[in-house]
Amino acid sequence: MSARPLRAAVAAMSTISAIRAHTTPQRQAWVGAALLGLLLVPAVRQWLTASMWRHMVLQFPLWMLAGAWLVAVLPPTARARVARWNAYGISGLVGAGAALAVLMVPRVLDLVLVSAPVEAAKCAALLLAGAGLRLSWRAAGLVVQGFFLGNMLPMTAVVGQLYIDSPLRLCNAYLLDDQARLGAWLVTAAALLAVGWLAQVAWWVVRREALVMQAARTARP
Amino acid sequence: MLRTALLACLLALAGYASAAWLTHDFQIWTAEGARRLEVAQHPVPVPPVTVDGPGMAAQPLPALLAQGGGVTLVDFIYTRCQTVCLSLGSSFQQLQAALLADRAAGAHAGVRLLSISFDDAHDTPAVLQAYARTLQADPLVWNWVRVPDVAQQQALLQRLGVVVVPDGRGDYEHNAAFLVLDAQGRLVRVFDLAEQQLALDFARHLAQGGRL
Repeated sequence: MSARPLRAAVAAMSTISAIRAHTTPQRQAWVGAALLGLLLVPAVRQWLTASMWRHMVLQFPLWMLAGAWLVAVLPPTARARVARWNAYGISGLVGAGAALAVLMVPRVLDLVLVSAPVEAAKCAALLLAGAGLRLSWRAAGLVVQGFFLGNMLPMTAVVGQLYIDSPLRLCNAYLLDDQARLGAWLVTAAALLAVGWLAQVAWWVVRREALVMQAARTARP
Repeated sequence: MLRTALLACLLALAGYASAAWLTHDFQIWTAEGARRLEVAQHPVPVPPVTVDGPGMAAQPLPALLAQGGGVTLVDFIYTRCQTVCLSLGSSFQQLQAALLADRAAGAHAGVRLLSISFDDAHDTPAVLQAYARTLQADPLVWNWVRVPDVAQQQALLQRLGVVVVPDGRGDYEHNAAFLVLDAQGRLVRVFDLAEQQLALDFARHLAQGGRL
């Protein structure tokens, strides 16, 4: 693996957090709608699906991102109504997990190229998965988040390793070296997400301890 | 919490149902696997495309398949290929030897071999003839054709689920396999390259009037 994907991932993550920090929900939804419009442009779709790694490592997350940004515009009342069906973010994470697991079946990548209904279903599932993750992540808390990632990331890494190792082309529409590249990307992405989440947890624990210490100091007479 | 449990179960069920549909009840995981399973369940008629090749006039493919009322083992190749077509070629040489031995023994006269090129621009009948000669193909059992019309060729590849991907280096990657077609011009089975003997035995069985 070269440093390029790593740099790209870090840049993407910092861009996302910068955008999240500086935008209103309305603006976020507009960005989401713009991204959605861009993803629907046939030439863009063509370019993204022309290669196996772009199809799975770029197009999939971009659809999820569009869903996550669009859902920002949901008003508080609607959000509360959704939350009643989504205690601890469990429904959202189960839905997103199911969608992503199904979309890892190699047949999907071939089928969406020749079947418009399946392509539409795929994109809708990814939009909803992105929205579901957005609505569920904070509510889930560390334990449920850890359970979700502990299932999803190893699955992603195993699929990636299969793609790296397979001497057979698993998709008729894509070349063998493209498949191996996708595998390397999936393993890398899984590792990066795991490290990122653990860093976040560590940060949260350290901050909580600092707050506890501070409270103890101020409570002393 | 009850609502959440209900919705989560529904979502998990929806995921299970879509996975079951996608993988034909968890039998296959790839598009190629699905194609082979679907062909075995529902034979696919070839479109009436015109083919030509060494030693034969241009004619519709179904007519060519109907000749002799037998069964045809088909492979898709291109002559410039340096990889999988070479192994297909040697497989077909072995199949030809077996079929010629069959005929000498007076059995299974209905099984024939057909190599179809998908590189119509390069693989003219003359090129195919020279290539067939290097493989010692015997026109009695092994014929070579191409589909001169580009649109018709696309239609044929699409109908039979043959996917050809240019690899950017002037070559192609394609899902090479043994295709079994019957006298009615239907694709009835697709066998893996490793299943050469199985493909031959199935073709013999079909040529003898055996059931699908």
